[in-house]
Amino acid sequence: MAYETLLKPIQIGNLTIRNRVVSTAHAEVCATEGGMTTDRYVRYYEEKAKGGCGLCICGGSSPVSIDSPQQWWSSVSIATDEIVPHFRNLSEAVHRHGGKIMIQITHMGRRSRWDGFNWPHLLSPSGIREPVHRATCKTIEEEEIHRVIDDFAQAARRVKEGGLDGIELSAVHQHLIDQFWSPRVNKRTDQWGGSFENRMRFGMEVLKAVRAEVGDDFCVGMRICGDEFHPDGLGHEDMKQIAAWYDATGMLDFFGVVGSGCDTHDTLANVIPNMSYPPEPFLHLAGGIREVVSVPVIHAQNIKDPTQANRILEGGHVDLVGMTRAHIADPHLIAKIKAGEPDRIRQCVGANYCIDRQYQGLDVLCIQNAATSREYMGLPHEIERSDGPPRRVVVVGGGPGGMEAARVAAERGHSVTLFEIEPQLGGQITIAARAPSRDQIAGITRWYEMELARLGVDLKLGTRADDAMIRDLQPNVVILANGGNSFTDQVPEWGATDGLAVSSWDILRGTVEPGRNVLVYDTTCEFAGMSVADYLASHGAQVEIVTDDTKPGVAVGGTTFPTYYRSLYEKSVVMTGDLGLQKVYREGESLVALLENEYTGEQEERVIDQVVIENGVRPDETLYYALKPRSRNHGQLDLEAFYAARPQPCLAHDEGDYALFRIGDCVSPRNTHAAIYDALRLCKDL
Amino acid sequence: MDQLLSVLIPAALIVGALGAWRRVRLWRQGRPAAVNLLQGMLRMPRRYLVDLHHVVARDRYIAHTHVATAGGFVAAMALAIVVHVLGVENVVMAGLLGLAGLTMLVGTLFVARRRLEPPARLSKGAWQRLPKSLMAFSLGMLLVSLPLGGLVPEGAASVLTTLVLGVLVGWGLLELVVGMGWGGPMKHAFAGAAHLAFHRRPERFSDVSGEGRHPGSRSTALLPLDLDSEQAPGSEQSMGVARPDEFGWQQLLGFDACVQCGRCEAACPAHAAGQPLNPKKLIQDMVIGMAGGSDAHYAGTPYTGQTTGEHGGAPGERIVPQLVEPETLWSCTTCRACVEECPMMIEHVDAIVDMRRFLTLEDGATPEKGAVALDNLIATDNPGGFDNASRLDWAADLELPRIRERPEGVDVLLWLGDGAFDMRNQRTLRSLVTVMRAAGVDFAVVGEEERDSGDLARRLGDEATFQQLARQNIATLSQYRFARIVTCDPHSFHVLGREYPDFGGHYRVLHHSGLLAELIDEQRLQLAPAASGSSLTWHDPCYLGRYNGEFEAPRRVLRALGMEVREMARSGHRSRCCGGGGGAALTDVPGKQRISDMRMGDARDTGAEVVAVGCPQCTAMLEGVVEPGPQVLDLAELVARALVVSEHNSSTLREPQEEVPA
Repeated sequence: MAYETLLKPIQIGNLTIRNRVVSTAHAEVCATEGGMTTDRYVRYYEEKAKGGCGLCICGGSSPVSIDSPQQWWSSVSIATDEIVPHFRNLSEAVHRHGGKIMIQITHMGRRSRWDGFNWPHLLSPSGIREPVHRATCKTIEEEEIHRVIDDFAQAARRVKEGGLDGIELSAVHQHLIDQFWSPRVNKRTDQWGGSFENRMRFGMEVLKAVRAEVGDDFCVGMRICGDEFHPDGLGHEDMKQIAAWYDATGMLDFFGVVGSGCDTHDTLANVIPNMSYPPEPFLHLAGGIREVVSVPVIHAQNIKDPTQANRILEGGHVDLVGMTRAHIADPHLIAKIKAGEPDRIRQCVGANYCIDRQYQGLDVLCIQNAATSREYMGLPHEIERSDGPPRRVVVVGGGPGGMEAARVAAERGHSVTLFEIEPQLGGQITIAARAPSRDQIAGITRWYEMELARLGVDLKLGTRADDAMIRDLQPNVVILANGGNSFTDQVPEWGATDGLAVSSWDILRGTVEPGRNVLVYDTTCEFAGMSVADYLASHGAQVEIVTDDTKPGVAVGGTTFPTYYRSLYEKSVVMTGDLGLQKVYREGESLVALLENEYTGEQEERVIDQVVIENGVRPDETLYYALKPRSRNHGQLDLEAFYAARPQPCLAHDEGDYALFRIGDCVSPRNTHAAIYDALRLCKDL
Repeated sequence: MDQLLSVLIPAALIVGALGAWRRVRLWRQGRPAAVNLLQGMLRMPRRYLVDLHHVVARDRYIAHTHVATAGGFVAAMALAIVVHVLGVENVVMAGLLGLAGLTMLVGTLFVARRRLEPPARLSKGAWQRLPKSLMAFSLGMLLVSLPLGGLVPEGAASVLTTLVLGVLVGWGLLELVVGMGWGGPMKHAFAGAAHLAFHRRPERFSDVSGEGRHPGSRSTALLPLDLDSEQAPGSEQSMGVARPDEFGWQQLLGFDACVQCGRCEAACPAHAAGQPLNPKKLIQDMVIGMAGGSDAHYAGTPYTGQTTGEHGGAPGERIVPQLVEPETLWSCTTCRACVEECPMMIEHVDAIVDMRRFLTLEDGATPEKGAVALDNLIATDNPGGFDNASRLDWAADLELPRIRERPEGVDVLLWLGDGAFDMRNQRTLRSLVTVMRAAGVDFAVVGEEERDSGDLARRLGDEATFQQLARQNIATLSQYRFARIVTCDPHSFHVLGREYPDFGGHYRVLHHSGLLAELIDEQRLQLAPAASGSSLTWHDPCYLGRYNGEFEAPRRVLRALGMEVREMARSGHRSRCCGGGGGAALTDVPGKQRISDMRMGDARDTGAEVVAVGCPQCTAMLEGVVEPGPQVLDLAELVARALVVSEHNSSTLREPQEEVPA
């Protein structure tokens, strides 16, 4: 049987997990300010359980103490008894579908922010500042140590009372337990620091207290890292020693292993490997831990494909695979395998939109699946067929918004025609995928291509749709998702119209050859600027990327800018902030770019042979205004209905002219998720 | 003329009887089995007129023709004996004789008409001669009766006409009476009658269906091989059948009764798929083997890809490959379409399995993946080679009650079958569990202790492994209390219900269609009406339908779902096999097309959106067909989909208010 190993049940402690797939602990960023779960939270996990996930570990970094703030990322707080009835809702919802659910509990110690809510003094073994959160902290006192140990035990009790199936103690990502472990940050000379045994003591006392509280028949595991990847941090052999030490107590039912520490920007990027990483880059570390422990080992990190997961398990490297982002992209992953439709799985592409939002304290969303974490709003993962009249739907534009609109409309049972000017689907995704180490983003398009073929959408590729062509099809609904153009002509002095500057799209598409000495001027500081600089540099160009913002790449999320920086610094790309591009002019064989400092007004020049502008997208509105006059709704969205994901009132009937809507970048430039979300909430009731 | 007949008729009868004796001796080469001669002969007429007629009457043309021809012949022959041999000559007798001759003549004309452009399934050769012989006899008898009846003055016949008449009647007698005993087309009358009287499966006839080994059944269970005695050291007998003389004598008799009508050929899915099997040819090959000779005179459709005249056999010689190639035997899906169609009640499947038994048990010659499956069965108790303890893996989240935890007993023991190891069938099983739970059925599963039923092993000829599995399963089941067994696998259904009794396992076994029909009848399921205009077609699994006569329950379930049930051209007892039975999917004999493709074509032709199935094997075979085509859904899945889901099963949608804790 295919996926036999992946679907093999396993016993963890007294708990039977129905398969080997785990949604590992991550922050959902959707609890209340007081740290209570919400309907959204419950429905998010219920969807995974419905979709067949074996075990969900919810509540990444859910704190046990009130001086470990959780409000910054709207996490669950287990510091009060109030949480218990909420947990009951949660566990019931997951159990109803045969799933199991645990929660990660922790004290974050110094790894947080102090400047809000209760304005706490953060705790740490030796008061050493944490760089990623720019967090200062106090040195923890003996009394506080005992209080926190007791907080862990009380939190464990609340989890058990709430009907959840277990807890995972977080001793990873430099939380309080592993802050005590690490000689880098634990400089204590009392019984809580110094020798190995002393450094282990805090975690050991936590484990003993928790086990004493919950008894023997409740699942307790621990998540650790496999190697901190710091020269002065805990190495793999240290971690094996630590794992064996705790395992020897017999009090743990499982280990979760994460490769890499996490308290610098660079190591943080390892923890949630983006698309630039190879598959399962740190499996060997988890395998190393498994060699020295006697209980099942869970490992996540870039395991996105069920075949890959099955191979890892068959190889005996670990006992369970974490497929967390894989489940954010498609919570019905297991159900699709079991339905014999593994090709229908919407596979995570490692864009890390989810985690990068989380690090900004924003709710976790998927770049390509707008229904994830919006189950509570009624946004569906499986689109139901409409019981209304079949409609003729025309979609213009084969980018993410257009593909999603076509998919959802076709799933509703309508006959859909999609026009795309390029010979292939994908829109800006196709351009983005041309950059080094960014090719996997095309996985978004690949899934849509397969779905649209399966659904029989009539694809008119390489076709520029005009209003006559569209009206000839006598559509009931027209959806414009035709994006726009690279906005290089915002400032005439940049010289784009005179051929002095080219766009980032020109370079990435390959329509313009990379120069030898190139200035990239990037106003957005997002992926596109970084990508085009990386592309140029990897084609041998000497590149300087300049922005009028504070630093190039500053708008790229926390798990991706480090991988860009690694690549750009390695290729000696110069990154310069605070300079605005005033003018480009030709001087002999060369070009001169005139730059002006944002704060001093001081001007400087660069002599180069190519200027590449990244200034976002200018919407293409021509077709919209051609179609608008005849449309029955004058092109207007009913925003109240739209935002509430309710049906558009003008679609209550099919009489008269077509209804016209536009979504995505052809209205104003936003991002992939925004375009897909527009399409889904508009079309789900079509 | 009278004198001529008074000599000719007794002479023909005597010579015919000698031939018949020779025939009987040919049959008796087979393994002995005691029969009650008198009882058999007494039962024969009713079996002929009732049971046989049911089968024959499916072809109305030939049924009517046969009544006239055979009826006319029997009457004419009897009257001719009375008139011409016993000398009872009067107008009434003459009139009756004339009438009999006339009736037969009319029938004969229809026989002749059919032979003008015979359907491909009919054998030609000597059979093309038969209408002429019949005509000679019937015309002769009619003409002979005329002067006796006074319609033509006595003595009007010249020597020439007497001679011509004598030749006609003589020819007829030679074909019809002598040939009946010595061979030729009319052999079927003698052998056929004897076969009816001494059939190896008397339960197939209505007179004794309440008795015998398998009372009340369609007598489709394979007969056990006595492994102990037949394995006896020094025994010259093979396990199974290696040589024609190792068939039971009644089987040889049955082969000899074949009329080569080719109904089996027309029904055989393997033949239609261009695999080297033609049940009619196979039976003729068995006759050749019994009598000795080559197949050169066979005048019907050969095995696809083979030419006649290259094979031959003798009673004491190996059948495979001299007489029959192994591919022929391994092409059979054991679907019983041939047996179902046979007007002579011949048991093709028994014969094939008998020969497979020898090939597997003594020659170790099970082909392709069949051998792997048998090895797996021996090692792991299931054909896929899975860890038997993982039979419940798919249900880890369903918390199915185990029968061992229910010492007080349950109503239904859910027998999972080997579909439990197959992801597709697991969906069916899940649906069935959902439906049973919705209806509040008190059920449990055997779980890890369940072994394969042995169906596959048995059909592949591995009787030893089958009996081992059967005994082990029976021993397991004997520990538990349950009212009945329910399974969604018709093969398990058949084997547990029909074949385990021979080994001491007596259970009430239901196919899930039966249970679902019962739950619907008792209104224990709340079903939502299907979307209007949706249609489906039901594919009758061979082991449910033809083997066990259950055609109605699944249709009742489907009708209850409110969908239009369309019938395929071949459905009910004439349903076409999916191609997966009898291990055929594993032995995988190449043909010109796949049986499953043909079957899906049947389904496609109905225009139905869904082909409803009730067998894991059928599901796999039909889903393996290249799309587009109707969706393949098990009955349980269809019912589960139609279940009105209670509020409990989906959380209620609340307003998106994040600040309201949930």
